[in-house]
Amino acid sequence: MKILIDRSRCEGHGLCEEAAPSLMHLDDDGELVLDHDEVGGDVLAAAGAAVRACPVAALRLA
Amino acid sequence: MPVATPKTSDVDLFADEVLLDPYPTYARLRDLGGVVHLPATDVYALTRYHVIRDALADWETFSSTSIGFNPMVNEALTGTSLASDPPVHTRLRATLTANLSPRALRGLKDQIDAKADSLVAELVAKGSFDAIDALARAFPLEVVADLIGFTGYARTNMLRWGQAAMQVIGPMNQRTAESFPIAGELYGWCSSVTADDLAPGSVGRGIFDAQARGDIPDNTAGHIIHQYLGAGVDTTIAAIGNILALFSAYPDQLELVRKDPALVPAAFSEALRFWAPVHAWGRRVRRDVEIDGAVVPAGAQVAILFGAGNRDPRHYDNPDAFLVERNPIDHLSFGYGPHGCAGQGLARLEAHAIIQALARRVERLVTGPETRIPSNITRSIDQLPVTEVVPA
Repeated sequence: MKILIDRSRCEGHGLCEEAAPSLMHLDDDGELVLDHDEVGGDVLAAAGAAVRACPVAALRLA
Repeated sequence: MPVATPKTSDVDLFADEVLLDPYPTYARLRDLGGVVHLPATDVYALTRYHVIRDALADWETFSSTSIGFNPMVNEALTGTSLASDPPVHTRLRATLTANLSPRALRGLKDQIDAKADSLVAELVAKGSFDAIDALARAFPLEVVADLIGFTGYARTNMLRWGQAAMQVIGPMNQRTAESFPIAGELYGWCSSVTADDLAPGSVGRGIFDAQARGDIPDNTAGHIIHQYLGAGVDTTIAAIGNILALFSAYPDQLELVRKDPALVPAAFSEALRFWAPVHAWGRRVRRDVEIDGAVVPAGAQVAILFGAGNRDPRHYDNPDAFLVERNPIDHLSFGYGPHGCAGQGLARLEAHAIIQALARRVERLVTGPETRIPSNITRSIDQLPVTEVVPA
Protein backbone atom coordinates (compact mmCIF):
# COMPACT_ATOMS: atom_id res chain seq x y z
CA MET A 1 0.00 0.00 0.00
CA LYS A 2 0.98 3.65 -0.39
CA ILE A 3 1.01 6.47 2.19
CA LEU A 4 -0.59 9.61 0.79
CA ILE A 5 -0.17 13.12 2.26
CA ASP A 6 -2.78 15.85 1.85
CA ARG A 7 -0.34 18.77 1.75
CA SER A 8 -3.12 21.32 2.18
CA ARG A 9 -3.90 19.79 5.57
CA CYS A 10 -0.45 18.90 6.92
CA GLU A 11 0.67 21.51 9.47
CA GLY A 12 3.78 19.70 10.69
CA HIS A 13 2.51 18.51 14.11
CA GLY A 14 4.98 15.63 13.83
CA LEU A 15 2.94 12.97 15.63
CA CYS A 16 3.27 10.68 12.59
CA GLU A 17 7.05 10.84 12.88
CA GLU A 18 6.81 9.79 16.53
CA ALA A 19 4.55 6.88 15.53
CA ALA A 20 6.64 5.72 12.56
CA PRO A 21 10.14 7.26 12.64
CA SER A 22 11.42 4.72 10.09
CA LEU A 23 8.91 5.87 7.47
CA MET A 24 8.79 9.67 7.69
CA HIS A 25 10.37 12.73 9.25
CA LEU A 26 9.98 16.49 9.44
CA ASP A 27 12.79 18.28 7.62
CA ASP A 28 14.59 21.39 8.89
CA ASP A 29 11.73 23.57 7.63
CA GLY A 30 9.12 21.46 9.42
CA GLU A 31 7.86 19.93 6.16
CA LEU A 32 6.90 16.26 6.22
CA VAL A 33 9.11 13.99 4.12
CA LEU A 34 8.13 10.38 3.40
CA ASP A 35 11.23 8.20 3.47
CA HIS A 36 9.24 5.19 2.31
CA ASP A 37 5.79 5.68 0.82
CA GLU A 38 5.27 2.14 -0.50
CA VAL A 39 4.55 0.09 2.61
CA GLY A 40 3.72 -3.53 3.23
CA GLY A 41 4.54 -6.48 5.44
CA ASP A 42 6.31 -5.55 8.65
CA VAL A 43 5.95 -1.80 8.32
CA LEU A 44 2.26 -1.70 7.47
CA ALA A 45 1.32 -1.54 11.16
CA ALA A 46 3.65 1.42 11.71
CA ALA A 47 2.18 3.16 8.66
CA GLY A 48 -1.33 2.62 10.05
CA ALA A 49 -0.25 4.04 13.42
CA ALA A 50 1.13 7.14 11.70
CA VAL A 51 -2.13 7.63 9.78
CA ARG A 52 -4.15 7.33 13.00
CA ALA A 53 -1.79 9.64 14.89
CA CYS A 54 -2.23 12.56 12.48
CA PRO A 55 -4.42 15.05 14.38
CA VAL A 56 -5.69 16.78 11.24
CA ALA A 57 -6.30 13.65 9.12
CA ALA A 58 -3.70 14.63 6.54
CA LEU A 59 -2.44 11.08 5.94
CA ARG A 60 -4.11 8.04 4.45
CA LEU A 61 -3.22 4.61 3.18
CA ALA A 62 -4.44 3.57 -0.24
CA MET B 1 -30.66 -4.47 10.49
CA PRO B 2 -33.75 -2.45 11.45
CA VAL B 3 -32.97 1.18 11.97
CA ALA B 4 -34.02 2.69 15.29
CA THR B 5 -34.36 6.20 16.62
CA PRO B 6 -31.71 7.23 19.17
CA LYS B 7 -32.37 6.57 22.85
CA THR B 8 -33.49 9.57 24.86
CA SER B 9 -32.28 10.92 28.21
CA ASP B 10 -33.56 13.77 30.38
CA VAL B 11 -29.99 14.90 31.16
CA ASP B 12 -29.34 18.63 30.86
CA LEU B 13 -25.73 18.77 29.67
CA PHE B 14 -25.40 22.35 30.87
CA ALA B 15 -26.81 21.92 34.40
CA ASP B 16 -24.39 23.03 37.14
CA GLU B 17 -23.85 19.57 38.61
CA VAL B 18 -23.12 18.04 35.19
CA LEU B 19 -20.64 20.79 34.31
CA LEU B 20 -18.83 20.37 37.64
CA ASP B 21 -18.44 16.60 37.24
CA PRO B 22 -19.68 15.30 33.88
CA TYR B 23 -18.03 11.88 34.04
CA PRO B 24 -20.85 9.91 35.74
CA THR B 25 -23.29 11.44 33.24
CA TYR B 26 -20.98 10.64 30.33
CA ALA B 27 -20.84 6.99 31.47
CA ARG B 28 -24.65 6.73 31.61
CA LEU B 29 -25.09 8.32 28.19
CA ARG B 30 -22.36 6.14 26.64
CA ASP B 31 -24.13 3.05 27.95
CA LEU B 32 -27.39 4.19 26.32
CA GLY B 33 -25.79 4.49 22.88
CA GLY B 34 -23.20 6.13 20.64
CA VAL B 35 -25.78 8.87 20.07
CA VAL B 36 -28.42 9.92 22.62
CA HIS B 37 -31.19 12.49 22.12
CA LEU B 38 -31.36 15.06 24.93
CA PRO B 39 -34.66 16.96 24.66
CA ALA B 40 -33.72 19.30 27.57
CA THR B 41 -31.41 21.18 25.19
CA ASP B 42 -32.69 19.57 21.97
CA VAL B 43 -29.33 18.13 21.01
CA TYR B 44 -28.10 14.71 19.92
CA ALA B 45 -25.08 13.89 22.09
CA LEU B 46 -22.23 11.84 20.60
CA THR B 47 -20.78 9.75 23.41
CA ARG B 48 -18.55 6.92 22.19
CA TYR B 49 -14.98 7.20 20.93
CA HIS B 50 -15.39 5.85 17.42
CA VAL B 51 -18.64 7.75 16.83
CA ILE B 52 -16.98 11.04 17.79
CA ARG B 53 -13.82 10.43 15.78
CA ASP B 54 -15.82 9.44 12.69
CA ALA B 55 -18.07 12.51 13.00
CA LEU B 56 -15.08 14.85 13.34
CA ALA B 57 -13.58 13.39 10.16
CA ASP B 58 -16.86 13.63 8.20
CA TRP B 59 -17.26 17.38 7.63
CA GLU B 60 -19.67 16.78 4.75
CA THR B 61 -22.27 15.25 7.08
CA PHE B 62 -21.40 17.12 10.29
CA SER B 63 -21.26 20.81 9.42
CA SER B 64 -19.39 23.31 11.59
CA THR B 65 -21.89 26.07 10.83
CA SER B 66 -23.45 25.35 14.22
CA ILE B 67 -20.56 24.80 16.62
CA GLY B 68 -22.37 26.83 19.28
CA PHE B 69 -25.55 25.98 21.14
CA ASN B 70 -27.40 29.26 20.61
CA PRO B 71 -28.23 31.03 17.32
CA MET B 72 -26.60 34.33 18.34
CA VAL B 73 -23.13 32.87 18.72
CA ASN B 74 -23.39 30.89 15.50
CA GLU B 75 -24.41 34.06 13.69
CA ALA B 76 -21.48 35.95 15.26
CA LEU B 77 -19.01 33.25 14.19
CA THR B 78 -20.21 33.08 10.58
CA GLY B 79 -17.32 33.51 8.19
CA THR B 80 -14.64 32.31 10.63
CA SER B 81 -12.52 29.22 10.11
CA LEU B 82 -14.05 27.70 13.23
CA ALA B 83 -17.59 27.85 11.89
CA SER B 84 -17.16 27.15 8.18
CA ASP B 85 -16.88 24.04 6.04
CA PRO B 86 -14.55 23.22 3.14
CA PRO B 87 -13.78 24.61 0.61
CA VAL B 88 -14.09 28.03 2.31
CA HIS B 89 -12.71 26.57 5.54
CA THR B 90 -9.53 25.33 3.87
CA ARG B 91 -8.47 28.86 2.88
CA LEU B 92 -9.46 30.42 6.22
CA ARG B 93 -7.64 27.73 8.16
CA ALA B 94 -4.48 28.24 6.13
CA THR B 95 -4.56 31.95 6.97
CA LEU B 96 -5.16 31.21 10.64
CA THR B 97 -2.39 28.63 10.93
CA ALA B 98 0.23 30.45 8.86
CA ASN B 99 1.60 31.91 12.10
CA LEU B 100 0.40 29.21 14.47
CA SER B 101 1.42 25.84 13.02
CA PRO B 102 4.28 23.95 14.67
CA ARG B 103 6.29 24.93 11.61
CA ALA B 104 5.75 28.62 12.33
CA LEU B 105 6.37 28.23 16.07
CA ARG B 106 9.64 26.29 15.90
CA GLY B 107 11.72 29.29 16.91
CA LEU B 108 9.71 29.86 20.09
CA LYS B 109 10.46 26.62 21.93
CA ASP B 110 13.59 27.72 23.81
CA GLN B 111 11.98 30.97 24.89
CA ILE B 112 8.82 29.22 26.17
CA ASP B 113 10.87 26.54 27.98
CA ALA B 114 12.96 29.21 29.70
CA LYS B 115 9.87 31.17 30.71
CA ALA B 116 8.24 28.07 32.22
CA ASP B 117 11.37 27.05 34.05
CA SER B 118 11.91 30.44 35.65
CA LEU B 119 8.25 30.70 36.70
CA VAL B 120 8.26 27.20 38.24
CA ALA B 121 11.61 27.89 39.99
CA GLU B 122 10.21 31.08 41.48
CA LEU B 123 7.09 29.30 42.76
CA VAL B 124 9.05 26.37 44.19
CA ALA B 125 11.10 28.89 46.18
CA LYS B 126 7.92 30.57 47.37
CA GLY B 127 6.43 27.28 48.62
CA SER B 128 2.77 28.27 48.81
CA PHE B 129 0.66 29.87 46.08
CA ASP B 130 -2.52 29.37 44.11
CA ALA B 131 -1.58 26.97 41.31
CA ILE B 132 -4.23 28.34 38.96
CA ASP B 133 -3.59 32.07 39.36
CA ALA B 134 0.17 31.89 39.73
CA LEU B 135 0.87 29.29 37.05
CA ALA B 136 -2.06 27.94 35.00
CA ARG B 137 -3.33 31.48 34.24
CA ALA B 138 -0.12 33.47 34.48
CA PHE B 139 1.89 31.36 32.03
CA PRO B 140 -0.43 31.09 28.98
CA LEU B 141 -1.53 34.70 29.40
CA GLU B 142 2.08 35.81 29.20
CA VAL B 143 2.93 33.48 26.30
CA VAL B 144 -0.13 34.45 24.23
CA ALA B 145 0.19 38.16 25.05
CA ASP B 146 3.84 38.20 24.01
CA LEU B 147 3.17 36.12 20.91
CA ILE B 148 0.30 38.23 19.57
CA GLY B 149 1.71 41.46 20.92
CA PHE B 150 -1.06 42.48 23.34
CA THR B 151 -0.26 45.44 25.53
CA GLY B 152 -2.24 47.79 27.79
CA TYR B 153 -6.03 47.51 27.60
CA ALA B 154 -6.10 44.21 25.69
CA ARG B 155 -3.52 42.56 27.96
CA THR B 156 -5.47 43.58 31.06
CA ASN B 157 -8.69 42.11 29.68
CA MET B 158 -7.43 38.91 28.05
CA LEU B 159 -8.52 36.56 30.83
CA ARG B 160 -12.13 37.76 31.11
CA TRP B 161 -12.45 38.10 27.33
CA GLY B 162 -11.12 34.59 26.81
CA GLN B 163 -13.49 33.13 29.40
CA ALA B 164 -16.50 34.93 27.95
CA ALA B 165 -15.66 33.90 24.37
CA MET B 166 -15.99 30.24 25.40
CA GLN B 167 -18.95 30.71 27.75
CA VAL B 168 -21.17 32.23 25.02
CA ILE B 169 -20.89 29.03 22.97
CA GLY B 170 -23.31 27.39 25.44
CA PRO B 171 -27.10 27.39 25.20
CA MET B 172 -28.87 30.65 26.05
CA ASN B 173 -28.69 30.22 29.84
CA GLN B 174 -27.78 32.83 32.44
CA ARG B 175 -24.05 32.21 32.06
CA THR B 176 -24.27 32.82 28.32
CA ALA B 177 -26.45 35.92 28.70
CA GLU B 178 -24.06 37.47 31.23
CA SER B 179 -21.04 36.69 29.07
CA PHE B 180 -22.30 38.15 25.76
CA PRO B 181 -21.53 41.78 26.72
CA ILE B 182 -17.96 40.78 27.70
CA ALA B 183 -17.48 38.71 24.53
CA GLY B 184 -18.80 41.81 22.73
CA GLU B 185 -15.99 43.93 24.22
CA LEU B 186 -13.46 41.49 22.75
CA TYR B 187 -15.25 41.51 19.39
CA GLY B 188 -15.39 45.30 19.42
CA TRP B 189 -11.71 45.63 20.26
CA CYS B 190 -10.74 43.15 17.53
CA SER B 191 -12.90 45.01 15.00
CA SER B 192 -11.00 48.23 15.55
CA VAL B 193 -7.51 47.00 16.43
CA THR B 194 -4.70 48.32 14.23
CA ALA B 195 -1.07 47.29 13.78
CA ASP B 196 0.02 50.12 16.08
CA ASP B 197 -1.92 48.59 18.98
CA LEU B 198 0.26 45.46 18.86
CA ALA B 199 3.87 45.17 19.95
CA PRO B 200 6.50 45.55 17.18
CA GLY B 201 7.88 42.19 16.01
CA SER B 202 4.88 40.22 17.32
CA VAL B 203 2.85 37.68 15.37
CA GLY B 204 -0.11 40.07 15.63
CA ARG B 205 1.90 42.75 13.80
CA GLY B 206 2.90 40.12 11.24
CA ILE B 207 -0.75 39.40 10.49
CA PHE B 208 -1.41 43.10 9.85
CA ASP B 209 1.69 43.23 7.65
CA ALA B 210 0.32 40.27 5.67
CA GLN B 211 -2.98 42.13 5.28
CA ALA B 212 -1.18 45.30 4.13
CA ARG B 213 0.73 43.26 1.52
CA GLY B 214 -2.53 41.74 0.27
CA ASP B 215 -1.51 38.19 1.31
CA ILE B 216 -4.76 37.91 3.25
CA PRO B 217 -8.01 39.75 2.46
CA ASP B 218 -8.82 43.16 3.94
CA ASN B 219 -10.41 43.15 7.40
CA THR B 220 -9.33 39.62 8.27
CA ALA B 221 -6.42 40.45 10.61
CA GLY B 222 -8.73 41.46 13.47
CA HIS B 223 -10.78 38.27 13.06
CA ILE B 224 -7.67 36.11 13.26
CA ILE B 225 -6.54 37.84 16.43
CA HIS B 226 -10.06 37.35 17.82
CA GLN B 227 -9.78 33.60 17.24
CA TYR B 228 -6.30 33.36 18.76
CA LEU B 229 -7.56 34.94 21.94
CA GLY B 230 -11.03 33.39 22.00
CA ALA B 231 -9.83 29.84 21.47
CA GLY B 232 -6.33 29.88 22.91
CA VAL B 233 -6.58 31.32 26.39
CA ASP B 234 -9.30 29.63 28.45
CA THR B 235 -8.60 26.14 27.07
CA THR B 236 -4.85 26.25 27.70
CA ILE B 237 -5.41 27.60 31.21
CA ALA B 238 -7.73 24.65 31.85
CA ALA B 239 -5.20 22.13 30.52
CA ILE B 240 -2.30 23.48 32.59
CA GLY B 241 -4.44 23.70 35.73
CA ASN B 242 -5.46 20.09 35.18
CA ILE B 243 -1.83 18.99 34.85
CA LEU B 244 -0.99 20.61 38.19
CA ALA B 245 -4.00 19.09 39.95
CA LEU B 246 -3.35 15.64 38.49
CA PHE B 247 0.34 15.61 39.42
CA SER B 248 -0.63 16.69 42.92
CA ALA B 249 -3.26 13.96 43.19
CA TYR B 250 -1.06 11.25 41.60
CA PRO B 251 2.52 11.79 42.85
CA ASP B 252 3.48 8.33 41.57
CA GLN B 253 2.71 9.54 38.02
CA LEU B 254 4.87 12.66 38.49
CA GLU B 255 7.60 10.33 39.76
CA LEU B 256 7.44 8.33 36.50
CA VAL B 257 7.96 11.51 34.45
CA ARG B 258 10.78 12.64 36.77
CA LYS B 259 12.57 9.34 36.19
CA ASP B 260 11.97 9.40 32.44
CA PRO B 261 11.53 12.90 30.96
CA ALA B 262 10.82 11.28 27.57
CA LEU B 263 7.33 10.75 29.05
CA VAL B 264 6.54 14.49 28.98
CA PRO B 265 4.46 14.42 25.75
CA ALA B 266 2.69 11.22 26.87
CA ALA B 267 1.86 12.83 30.22
CA PHE B 268 0.28 15.80 28.45
CA SER B 269 -1.78 13.56 26.15
CA GLU B 270 -2.98 11.58 29.16
CA ALA B 271 -3.92 14.73 31.11
CA LEU B 272 -5.93 15.92 28.10
CA ARG B 273 -7.59 12.52 27.75
CA PHE B 274 -8.36 12.20 31.45
CA TRP B 275 -9.90 15.68 31.87
CA ALA B 276 -10.99 17.21 28.57
CA PRO B 277 -10.72 21.02 28.71
CA VAL B 278 -13.74 21.36 26.39
CA HIS B 279 -17.04 19.88 27.55
CA ALA B 280 -19.23 20.04 24.44
CA TRP B 281 -18.84 21.29 20.88
CA GLY B 282 -21.53 21.55 18.22
CA ARG B 283 -22.13 20.35 14.70
CA ARG B 284 -25.22 20.47 12.45
CA VAL B 285 -26.25 17.27 10.65
CA ARG B 286 -26.72 17.97 6.93
CA ARG B 287 -28.55 14.75 6.04
CA ASP B 288 -30.27 11.86 7.80
CA VAL B 289 -27.35 9.90 9.19
CA GLU B 290 -27.15 6.50 10.82
CA ILE B 291 -24.97 6.41 13.93
CA ASP B 292 -24.49 3.12 15.77
CA GLY B 293 -27.75 1.79 14.28
CA ALA B 294 -29.88 4.86 15.10
CA VAL B 295 -30.88 7.62 12.70
CA VAL B 296 -30.27 11.29 13.47
CA PRO B 297 -32.46 13.48 11.25
CA ALA B 298 -31.12 16.10 8.83
CA GLY B 299 -30.91 19.51 10.49
CA ALA B 300 -30.36 18.16 14.01
CA GLN B 301 -27.97 19.90 16.39
CA VAL B 302 -25.22 17.60 17.62
CA ALA B 303 -23.19 17.94 20.86
CA ILE B 304 -19.80 16.25 20.68
CA LEU B 305 -18.75 15.12 24.16
CA PHE B 306 -14.96 14.84 23.88
CA GLY B 307 -14.62 13.79 27.53
CA ALA B 308 -17.12 10.95 27.10
CA GLY B 309 -15.22 9.55 24.12
CA ASN B 310 -11.92 9.88 25.97
CA ARG B 311 -13.22 7.60 28.75
CA ASP B 312 -14.85 5.05 26.44
CA PRO B 313 -13.83 1.56 27.64
CA ARG B 314 -14.49 0.31 24.08
CA HIS B 315 -11.36 2.22 23.07
CA TYR B 316 -9.15 2.64 26.17
CA ASP B 317 -8.41 -0.05 28.74
CA ASN B 318 -9.06 1.05 32.31
CA PRO B 319 -10.17 4.48 31.04
CA ASP B 320 -10.85 6.04 34.45
CA ALA B 321 -7.21 5.67 35.56
CA PHE B 322 -4.65 8.47 35.03
CA LEU B 323 -1.57 6.71 33.64
CA VAL B 324 1.19 8.79 32.05
CA GLU B 325 2.69 5.75 30.34
CA ARG B 326 -0.50 5.15 28.37
CA ASN B 327 0.47 7.73 25.70
CA PRO B 328 -3.02 8.16 24.15
CA ILE B 329 -1.94 10.23 21.15
CA ASP B 330 -5.36 9.66 19.57
CA HIS B 331 -7.32 11.32 22.42
CA LEU B 332 -10.19 13.56 21.32
CA SER B 333 -9.52 16.70 23.36
CA PHE B 334 -8.05 18.60 20.38
CA GLY B 335 -10.86 17.36 18.17
CA TYR B 336 -9.69 15.64 15.00
CA GLY B 337 -9.52 16.16 11.25
CA PRO B 338 -9.94 19.36 9.25
CA HIS B 339 -11.12 21.33 12.32
CA GLY B 340 -8.61 19.75 14.74
CA CYS B 341 -7.41 22.41 17.20
CA ALA B 342 -5.41 24.94 15.19
CA GLY B 343 -3.44 25.97 18.25
CA GLN B 344 -2.44 22.51 19.42
CA GLY B 345 1.19 23.08 18.48
CA LEU B 346 1.35 26.10 20.78
CA ALA B 347 -0.58 24.26 23.50
CA ARG B 348 1.98 21.43 23.33
CA LEU B 349 4.90 23.85 23.55
CA GLU B 350 3.37 25.48 26.63
CA ALA B 351 2.28 22.31 28.41
CA HIS B 352 5.48 20.37 27.67
CA ALA B 353 7.50 23.30 29.02
CA ILE B 354 5.50 23.31 32.26
CA ILE B 355 5.67 19.52 32.70
CA GLN B 356 9.44 19.50 32.04
CA ALA B 357 9.97 22.26 34.60
CA LEU B 358 7.83 20.46 37.19
CA ALA B 359 9.60 17.16 36.59
CA ARG B 360 12.97 18.88 36.99
CA ARG B 361 12.18 20.94 40.07
CA VAL B 362 9.35 19.33 42.02
CA GLU B 363 9.14 16.05 43.87
CA ARG B 364 5.71 16.66 45.25
CA LEU B 365 3.01 19.34 45.17
CA VAL B 366 0.86 19.31 48.31
CA THR B 367 -2.48 20.99 47.63
CA GLY B 368 -5.69 21.86 49.46
CA PRO B 369 -9.11 21.17 47.93
CA GLU B 370 -9.69 22.41 44.37
CA THR B 371 -12.58 24.76 43.62
CA ARG B 372 -14.54 24.59 40.38
CA ILE B 373 -17.12 27.01 38.98
CA PRO B 374 -19.64 25.64 36.48
CA SER B 375 -18.90 26.88 32.99
CA ASN B 376 -20.74 26.07 29.75
CA ILE B 377 -17.88 24.93 27.54
CA THR B 378 -14.49 25.05 29.28
CA ARG B 379 -14.13 22.70 32.24
CA SER B 380 -11.38 24.01 34.47
CA ILE B 381 -10.27 24.41 38.07
CA ASP B 382 -10.84 27.89 39.46
CA GLN B 383 -8.62 27.68 42.56
CA LEU B 384 -6.04 25.14 43.70
CA PRO B 385 -4.09 26.17 46.82
CA VAL B 386 -0.58 24.74 46.97
CA THR B 387 0.35 24.52 50.64
CA GLU B 388 3.77 22.97 50.28
CA VAL B 389 6.24 22.14 47.52
CA VAL B 390 8.68 19.32 48.13
CA PRO B 391 11.54 20.36 45.85
CA ALA B 392 13.36 17.83 43.71
